[in-house]
Amino acid sequence: MRTDYGYAEEKRLGRPYDLKLLARLVPFVRPYGGMLGLAVVLVLTITALDLALPYVTKVAVDRFIVPRAAPGEALPAMAQRMAGIGWMTGLFLVLVAANFTATFIQVQLMEAIGQKAMHALRLDLVRHILQLPVAFFDRQPVARLVTRATNDTQNLHELFTSVVAFVFKDLFLMVGIAAVLIWLDLRLALISFAVLPLVMAAAWHFARRSRDVFRGLTVRLAELNTRFAETIGGISVIQLMGREPANAQAFGALNDAYWRLGMTQIHLFAVFLPVIEVLGSAALAVVVYYGGGAVVSERISLGALVAYISYMRMFFRPIRDIAEKYNIMQNAMASAERIAAIRDEAALDAPVDRRPTTPDAPAASTPLVALEGVVFGYGTDAPVLNGLSLTVARDQTLAIVGPTGAGKTSLIHLILRFYAPREGIIRFEGKDLRTLAPLDLRRRIALVSQDSFLFSTSLGDNIFPEGLPDPGTVAQVLEAAQCTDLVARLPEGLATQIGEGGRTLSSGERQLVAIARALARNPTLIIFDEATAHVDSATEARIQAALAYLTRQRTAIVIAHRLSTARAADRIAVLRQGRIEACGSHEALIAQNAYYHRLNQQQV
Amino acid sequence: MTLGPFDLLRPYLQTHRTAIALGVVCLVVVDFLQLWIPRVVKRAVDDLTAGGQEAGLGGYALEIVGLAVGIGIFRYVWRRCLIGTSRQVERGLRRQLFDHLQRLEPAYFDRHATGELMAHATNDINHVRMATGMGMVALTDAVVLGTAAIGFMLYIDVRLTLLVLLPMPMIVVGTRLFSRQMHRRYQRVQAAFARLTETVREHFSGIRVVKAYTMGPAAAARIETASTAYVAGNLSLVRITGAFFPMMVLFSNLSLALVLFLGGRATAAGTITAGDFVAFISYIGLITWPMMALGWVMNLIQRGRASLERLAAIFNTAPAIADAPEARPLDGPPERIIFKGVTMAYDGRSAALERIDLSLERNRTYGIVGPPGGGKTTLVRLMGRLYEPAEGTVQVDGVPLARIRLADLRRQIAYAPQEPFIFAGTLGDNITLGEAVAPGRLAEILKDAALDRMVAELPEGLETVVGERGIMLSGGQKQRVGLARALLSDRPVLLLDDPISQLDTVTGRRVIEALRRRAAGRLMVVVSHRMAAVEWADRIVVLENGRLTAQGTPAEVLSRSDYYRAACRLQATEDNGRAN
Repeated sequence: MRTDYGYAEEKRLGRPYDLKLLARLVPFVRPYGGMLGLAVVLVLTITALDLALPYVTKVAVDRFIVPRAAPGEALPAMAQRMAGIGWMTGLFLVLVAANFTATFIQVQLMEAIGQKAMHALRLDLVRHILQLPVAFFDRQPVARLVTRATNDTQNLHELFTSVVAFVFKDLFLMVGIAAVLIWLDLRLALISFAVLPLVMAAAWHFARRSRDVFRGLTVRLAELNTRFAETIGGISVIQLMGREPANAQAFGALNDAYWRLGMTQIHLFAVFLPVIEVLGSAALAVVVYYGGGAVVSERISLGALVAYISYMRMFFRPIRDIAEKYNIMQNAMASAERIAAIRDEAALDAPVDRRPTTPDAPAASTPLVALEGVVFGYGTDAPVLNGLSLTVARDQTLAIVGPTGAGKTSLIHLILRFYAPREGIIRFEGKDLRTLAPLDLRRRIALVSQDSFLFSTSLGDNIFPEGLPDPGTVAQVLEAAQCTDLVARLPEGLATQIGEGGRTLSSGERQLVAIARALARNPTLIIFDEATAHVDSATEARIQAALAYLTRQRTAIVIAHRLSTARAADRIAVLRQGRIEACGSHEALIAQNAYYHRLNQQQV
Repeated sequence: MTLGPFDLLRPYLQTHRTAIALGVVCLVVVDFLQLWIPRVVKRAVDDLTAGGQEAGLGGYALEIVGLAVGIGIFRYVWRRCLIGTSRQVERGLRRQLFDHLQRLEPAYFDRHATGELMAHATNDINHVRMATGMGMVALTDAVVLGTAAIGFMLYIDVRLTLLVLLPMPMIVVGTRLFSRQMHRRYQRVQAAFARLTETVREHFSGIRVVKAYTMGPAAAARIETASTAYVAGNLSLVRITGAFFPMMVLFSNLSLALVLFLGGRATAAGTITAGDFVAFISYIGLITWPMMALGWVMNLIQRGRASLERLAAIFNTAPAIADAPEARPLDGPPERIIFKGVTMAYDGRSAALERIDLSLERNRTYGIVGPPGGGKTTLVRLMGRLYEPAEGTVQVDGVPLARIRLADLRRQIAYAPQEPFIFAGTLGDNITLGEAVAPGRLAEILKDAALDRMVAELPEGLETVVGERGIMLSGGQKQRVGLARALLSDRPVLLLDDPISQLDTVTGRRVIEALRRRAAGRLMVVVSHRMAAVEWADRIVVLENGRLTAQGTPAEVLSRSDYYRAACRLQATEDNGRAN
């Protein structure tokens, strides 16, 4: 399924939410169980205080302000009454202060729990996403994942602070009031509860319809974010090609779709909330009619009816509250669902199979890297690599040449275990890659890729992510990668902040930094994927000279378009149509391989 | 002209003023109908007390249901009108923000991170929506119900009412004090959220490097730091908001205590009647909800204001590169582009170009060469006015670029940047950018950009979805897509920044041949590190360290420039024979 905009649309989730979804949040809250318990106790205390305040007023009125003498008793003296009023006001003030304090503490507690639980959930989600295989990121626009880790976790936090505590309070109130109503008059209670099935039916219908809307909103929001991010990334192309109007129109369509869903949501709430209100009033009308009749026929007292009516009005307030909070709840559930969907991506990056199905290759004479009959393709696409076999001997440099799109970069990705081959085996030091922990494998490899992604930290942090080594090593790495001049040109040298994606550097400079980053890693295997495409020949020649020195004790794979780069290698492999067509020295390939021969002829 | 935060909102409120007025009227009606229902109940009870008959009860019941239905209808209208308006504001602001960002120069995006701008488009606009929608509702509610309650109280007893209003100045002072703090803390929270968004975005988009360099734990640690800062900001905020709401309730309870004490004593002393006192107490209950609503409104408004200010800061950034008032149209293809003493530096860096004098003419092809960081890309960017020179001018046919209408200038230019940006979508859309193109012409372009075979091999051809930033394409394929895009637009000025760097030599040569065929009648600039891509040019320009060190025909430059000579020799000798 595709949107008009090319992304695979997020799967529609048919199953309604269930409590299992909420249960999954429990582990994040559990560490704060004590605090949560205290917060709930405080909520109940606050409710009790809320109910106690009118009672204090009532007592003050009945006993001191407008006392009515019981038969045979004298009215209390005026001085006593005045003092009593003072005492009751004092008590009232104490309760009010307690109410304020309890509310303050309860809000702080709930916020702290909510924030910390969501922080834990966010990190759990981020850690999980960082562990997912690269193939997952091929399918997901980055902005969508960002939306999940920021906006959606935020929605869950709202669930906490605005809902959890208040739902407790409202449920508590509802049950209490229902009990009082039944106690006051069972028949009247049963009659007035007759509207409850209608309330349930309305709520159920509403829940079903609004769920789709909320789900739609979370999906559309991620789309908006994606379009935003993409426009910023491609701003130069958009502006120079004059694409602003068309792009704005496309964004406008997404924005309008989001807006229309928002209006649908308003419509749903605008119908639902009044419906609940009408049903509440209908219940009141029923009580006035039947209860009034009962008073006339002297089945119940007038006082009981008045009390009944006032409780009846209190009964529908929490129901409306819960319905109102439903908004936040739906939002949070839709978010929880999306987060859970990512969390359920079980296909972790490169799972380790400790019990290899293939025997380790014999230790003696093992090449560092060996690929045997590898077949690989992206997703369900036609294979890019088709029965490829190749070995890379230790301490040697292997160059790979071939037309663009032949699968050179895919080959590199397989060695790094970004992807798993469909068929065949890849070995590193004779061990099946599937039996190696990806972190251990990658720690020994340094990749310089076609597009040099840099982080928006300082230049030094980019080259030496694990901290600056001694000055001698720093100078050596910078010199080998031809970065010395670049660092000298920057105002603060290695401490210079290089901006988002290193965009304050030119592509050639970024490439040099990426090379320095690879060298600083001191890897067993170094892979250059067209790493010098944006660099001129003179700089490249200097890098190669430094590399030759650095790679003496190292294995290297170099993907090259310029034969000048390839020729320096110990061996050259020609990759065409997903296979190794030939492999050998420069001279041997000129003689043997027609493609290489032609490449050499055309090289300038 | 700088916009205040509320100037952003005003046009929307004006456009939808009918809806807002209707909504507010309905809301007021609902408030009064709600006050009416208790009166009906009271009359029914009074009737029963007076020993009335069962006959009247049905009437009262019907009246209650009728009122409820009326409330329901008016409620529906105000929700649609008021909350609907807030959705309109959201939609309009987001669109406005997008349009504005599209007009800002690339240098702006060098300074502002994508993730932070994304946070503006979602989080901040969301806060503004909440502040306008629920803010308007709660404010109206607070004012109407508050006024009604005070009115009833005044009707019963003026002196007691004044007592009730005694804590009011405290509310005003408290609100002012708290809202300033609240505002400041909201600003901090929102900035922290933006940073969190950007940190997450950065590490997800660099996932391949994160994985290759086993930086997963470090990435998680950075996100954790950003998230911790966000949590801390929120907790500091809630110390204010958490005190503010209960404070509003506290004040209305203080009013009640005052009435209880002073009013109670007056009643006991017989100064006012017991009935008035009891009625008075019950009306004070009415004032509690407006007080709470007021607290909530303050909160929403402060949050919305902080967000609006952040948005206004963006809107107040005028595009640094825009049409000057005296901008002239550009008629016909440029004959000559001249750099006169041009110096250019990116933010906080030493000059990328220094005092460049250069003249480029139509019907000629220019090859630009030089070491990395020499200023080649900068030169090309200046021609499209993506950046502006710090000193000197770039002129087209004698007119400085700054005085030419931007759209006219860019209509003359086709540009293939070094790292072609691929949009999520189909391969075909990326080449045509969504414009209709005759199939024959498209086939021709595909052939020239050496894409024909690749497209033929794809099962879905041009309909293949290429994924975000062309993730499914190889570097060379992306480069050729960018090239095809530039060729297809068929413009008189063709700027190609390193067009064959990621192509193998065979394909690269095909592309160069196609470029040569198209050179006639155009002003073409080719930046490259490969001599094959530039050696056929009419003129070679050598840029080293931001300075123009040589220019002329290839033969002239070969004799004048050590750099060019060395570069040619390097590629020639290494490449076994076929040296020119």
